[in-house]
Amino acid sequence: MKLSEDIREEVKKLREEIAKLKEQLTSVTDREQRRSRGIYIDIGNRVQDYMGDVMESVAEGIHGELERSIFVGPEGVRIIRERGDKFRGEEEERVSLSKVAEIMSALGHEHRLRILKELMGGGRYINELQDKLSEITASTLSSHLKVLEEAGLVVQEKVRGRYLITMPGRTAYKMATRITKFLERGSQE
Amino acid sequence: MTWQNYQLDSTILKITELLTLWRIEKGIIEIGKNSLAISIKLDDQLKGYLFHGKGKLLLDTIVETEKGAIGRPIEKEISEPFLMLGEAEEIQRHLTTASKEELTEMGYENEQGFMAKAEDLFDQFFGKERIHKNQCCDNDHGFVFAFPNKAGKLDILIAKGSKLIYKAINTVFISNRDKVVLKTPNEVILSGNRKSFVIRK
Repeated sequence: MKLSEDIREEVKKLREEIAKLKEQLTSVTDREQRRSRGIYIDIGNRVQDYMGDVMESVAEGIHGELERSIFVGPEGVRIIRERGDKFRGEEEERVSLSKVAEIMSALGHEHRLRILKELMGGGRYINELQDKLSEITASTLSSHLKVLEEAGLVVQEKVRGRYLITMPGRTAYKMATRITKFLERGSQE
Repeated sequence: MTWQNYQLDSTILKITELLTLWRIEKGIIEIGKNSLAISIKLDDQLKGYLFHGKGKLLLDTIVETEKGAIGRPIEKEISEPFLMLGEAEEIQRHLTTASKEELTEMGYENEQGFMAKAEDLFDQFFGKERIHKNQCCDNDHGFVFAFPNKAGKLDILIAKGSKLIYKAINTVFISNRDKVVLKTPNEVILSGNRKSFVIRK
């Protein structure tokens, strides 16, 4: 991983810097010792060694965190914003997995995604959808719309009969396309 | 049977064919064939009807926002007596006198049984204290519907042209063309001029 190599290089540079600082510190303390009457305690190389260990540990921690939260793809770097583990756990508990499966199942068909995409442009009557998605038969289209309605992604007006994409439907469609883009980029790594 | 100047007629009628009582882009109210009806009059002028039969209320209480539609349509089967005030002249042509058998089919032993139920609803709508005619429903171009609900109160629908107000147990829907206010148990949505404001619990 290039990222890992970069961090190792940075640690190496830091160590060199610490060594230089050590030399400077020795010369300064010698001068100060000559000037002042205070007590001078030589702590030797232990502080520098300790600092080096701390820096390495911090660097490793940062590296691990970066690997978890930054996705480096062919088009650049993406930062994944996440909330705390505790909150994440609570949120996962609140979401029923059967509901997740229902939504994902509703999204899991190219025809249904195409219907949602079409409805992103505004409410459509069934015949308008049929014209736009002519490769889908009328009965299949109705069946797909029913699935989308049951999942709460689409709502049909009872009087005029238009189909409308709901707020959750719009969000679900956008997230589905984003997840796909994200995974595609990941697989190209 | 006089409530201020509004009166329930004493003749029980029946509907001869499926009737659409009110229809706009967002709503429709229908009443089925053979449903019972009583005229509501104001100073001997026909002002509406009280119906009992199989009916249907469809209302698209949906708000279209830039981020997607919010709300669900209301689809309600009507089986209890309900009241309508508004343009009633057209309806008059689709009514005939109801026979005793037709009353029996609707679950009433006699005319008094139906009249008693009709009076209860009428009383509930206008209130025990008689109101002045100008305080309610004296409108030549609009509609007022009152449907008894599960809470023992009335769901009220008031419509004039494209303007609509609907108040039910858990829903308030106010619509005037593209300007909409929708209140459900979980959210309040205000929408108009391509802008929407949503408040969620």
